[in-house]
Amino acid sequence: MVKAVHYLNQFFAGLGGEEQADTPPMRLDGAVGPGRGLAAALEDAEIVATVACGDDYFAEHEEEATAALLELVRAEAPDVLVAGPAFGSGRYGYASARVARAAAEAGIPAVAAMHEENPGVAAVGRAVVVPTGPNVAGMRDALPRLAALAGRLAHGERLGPAEEDGYLPRGLRRNRQYDRTGAERAVDLLLAKLGGDTRTEVGGAHDTVPSPPPIPDLSHALLALVTEAGCVPQGNPDRLASVRAHAWLRYSLAGEERLEPGRYESVHGGFDVTLANEDPNRLVPLDTVRELVGEGRIGELYDCFYTTTGNGTPVATATTFGQEIAAELRDAGVQAVLLSGT
Amino acid sequence: MAWTLRTFSSDVLDVDAARLEELAADEDALEALEVDVVRGGEPVRITHVLDAVEPRIRPDGRAAFPLEPKAGQGVTHRIDQAVVLPCLDFPGEERPLHEQESIVDLAGPGSELTPFAIGTNVVLTFHGRPDAGHRAIDSSTRRVTLAAAELLAALTLEAEPDREETFELGPVDESLPSIAALVQLSDLGQLYQLYVYGEPAGEVGLPRVVDPAEMLDGAVTAGEYHWAAMRNPTLFFQRNSLVTTLYREHGKRLRFAGVVFMRGYEQSAADKQRAADEAAHVAAEVGADGAVITTDGGGNSHTEVMLTCRACESAGIRTAVVLAEETDLDATEAILTDWVPEADCIVSTGNLEELVPAWRPERVLGGDALLDGTPAADVAPIPVRNYLGAANQMGQLCAGAMSW
Amino acid sequence: MLAKEIERAGITTVFVSSLPTIATMIGVNRTLRGPAITHPFGLDEPERRRIVERALEMLEADVAPTTVWEVAA
Repeated sequence: MVKAVHYLNQFFAGLGGEEQADTPPMRLDGAVGPGRGLAAALEDAEIVATVACGDDYFAEHEEEATAALLELVRAEAPDVLVAGPAFGSGRYGYASARVARAAAEAGIPAVAAMHEENPGVAAVGRAVVVPTGPNVAGMRDALPRLAALAGRLAHGERLGPAEEDGYLPRGLRRNRQYDRTGAERAVDLLLAKLGGDTRTEVGGAHDTVPSPPPIPDLSHALLALVTEAGCVPQGNPDRLASVRAHAWLRYSLAGEERLEPGRYESVHGGFDVTLANEDPNRLVPLDTVRELVGEGRIGELYDCFYTTTGNGTPVATATTFGQEIAAELRDAGVQAVLLSGT
Repeated sequence: MAWTLRTFSSDVLDVDAARLEELAADEDALEALEVDVVRGGEPVRITHVLDAVEPRIRPDGRAAFPLEPKAGQGVTHRIDQAVVLPCLDFPGEERPLHEQESIVDLAGPGSELTPFAIGTNVVLTFHGRPDAGHRAIDSSTRRVTLAAAELLAALTLEAEPDREETFELGPVDESLPSIAALVQLSDLGQLYQLYVYGEPAGEVGLPRVVDPAEMLDGAVTAGEYHWAAMRNPTLFFQRNSLVTTLYREHGKRLRFAGVVFMRGYEQSAADKQRAADEAAHVAAEVGADGAVITTDGGGNSHTEVMLTCRACESAGIRTAVVLAEETDLDATEAILTDWVPEADCIVSTGNLEELVPAWRPERVLGGDALLDGTPAADVAPIPVRNYLGAANQMGQLCAGAMSW
Repeated sequence: MLAKEIERAGITTVFVSSLPTIATMIGVNRTLRGPAITHPFGLDEPERRRIVERALEMLEADVAPTTVWEVAA
């Protein structure tokens, strides 16, 4: 009989609702709340303990809470850590993901369950996520599927491809042998495509954004500068992170003709910033753009630039940042943007 | 025009090493040749492998690897489960495009990656004369290898075949979709090119329609020594899965419209675009409703593949593309070196960067040390990238990748 | 990806990067290949000028989706 530990938030652990969201990490014996349904669905595995934490407490003490929960989990020497289901709840999903990820990194197979659009999905590292419906109405559907995967992990089984085994692909790739050659597969896929069914083994659909129209007259346009290269005022006064930035920042360019070395630097942790620090205009071309405005080639430069570090930023986060920056630019009437990437 | 291929069991093989070594004696650029015969399953690692060639001969006396059209007619003999593996460590410092290591393991985890770990492998370890220059040495090794492949097949002329297949494309139901194979052949200069009837691919007027049987019958030979896993060795043309599949399906699920050889590794953006447009144009001329586009070489030629895909789709020809991935082991997205939105149907032949667990062979052929100086018997995990043809992009193998 | 969201708001954007492949895979429409990850806008002013001017041309151009331009035309 293999051992599982189950992570729940304060509500599902039966401690109370929002008013108990500041509960610090704690341990309960055996299975609690939905853990009982989970235990019933598990084959040859038992839930020996439940660990729980308030969603607010976790959000405000992320590192310590994760460490404390991991300690509680390790104390049970489990064969698997199961977290959630968190459904669409963002704070709970994120906490579940962090705990699962910490367990996986500590060598304990871990599986979380939440809706595929839960921001927690991006935080789960190498742990596995079983997709669920958006709210608790999906509990009955989710538990058996979560139990199935948890059981396999607890018994040391190697998982197959994401689509076949009922978990969300983590974007990791692993080689495999098919029973048909690549050429045979190509002919099959092509014939299917000609029949109206388009499938691919790699690449996949990304949502497309229509190309914004060309600028008809740049000499009357308002242009803004944005960078993912982590360019900030010297000393990084707002503590932009070098890796997995939690924020984007906006700085005024009023009165600056160029970005002077010593007044600006890059804090990006993903490349050698020596050249950028010698001349920050290499990342944010203020000097050249000012000249071009002076020459009338560009109408006007927006008086702020936007910066973040595009280094290990999860897609969901980068999307949010982009949306927020875009909203400000649009409100300011910016028509064109030059964006330096990494 | 029909072509008949007779298959003979490898029992017929009788490797006369001395006769094979004599072939090299006539070549000024070669100092020595060692011949070894090893079998799949033996704990052998073979390094510096240049190519793989199946023994072939024609009873009518014409060349098995002809230097002029037209192959794919009459009768050809092949030996089953037998392959010639030429090996060479180019002497001297000059290594123009950093040719990379090329390994075949006959046992251990790496043996699953290449199709050579079954049957009989005739390993030809060449030694070039140090002052002969790489091009002369290469020309000699290729000449001797192809001559050896033909010599080894000579005994089939007095034997009984195990089976016989005839390749021909008769008229079939016109309502079946018409599918063409667009086969990319690269040419980056000698040491990094494929040959069509002995001429470098860049000099034979590509794109060009050929009879599919020509491709199976020795019209294409290989001399490309970078990107081991992405090479298309001669054998993969002789036994080409795409072409044999399309022949087999002709009249069943499709009409085989034909094979178009197209160019890869053009160097300028304009040349790449032109090559792609011309290939799509030829595909349209043969009446293709759909095309399978295959790749030869690394990321640079992936660009042509993608441009060709786009050009075909714009012309109303639906496409499936075959290529390998170069996904970093920690990446959260499969990494293709190039991509266009029209490429919505891609077969992945696997991830080059994945590591094969370390394995210690008992015997090493081809060369004791890898190109980087590591002893060949003593290596850490080796990336798929370094195994000959392991991720080849004509879809010859069952290799692929999955998301997990 | 920032560039895509800014495009989604209808603002014409040129993404300057030495790794245009990922950008086109994600669906960014106007990408200009920069010289290096350490200095996407070039080392010296003349180079920076060429890059910025090319980027401006791209802002003014009606391009097909996921187009990548080089600086040297």
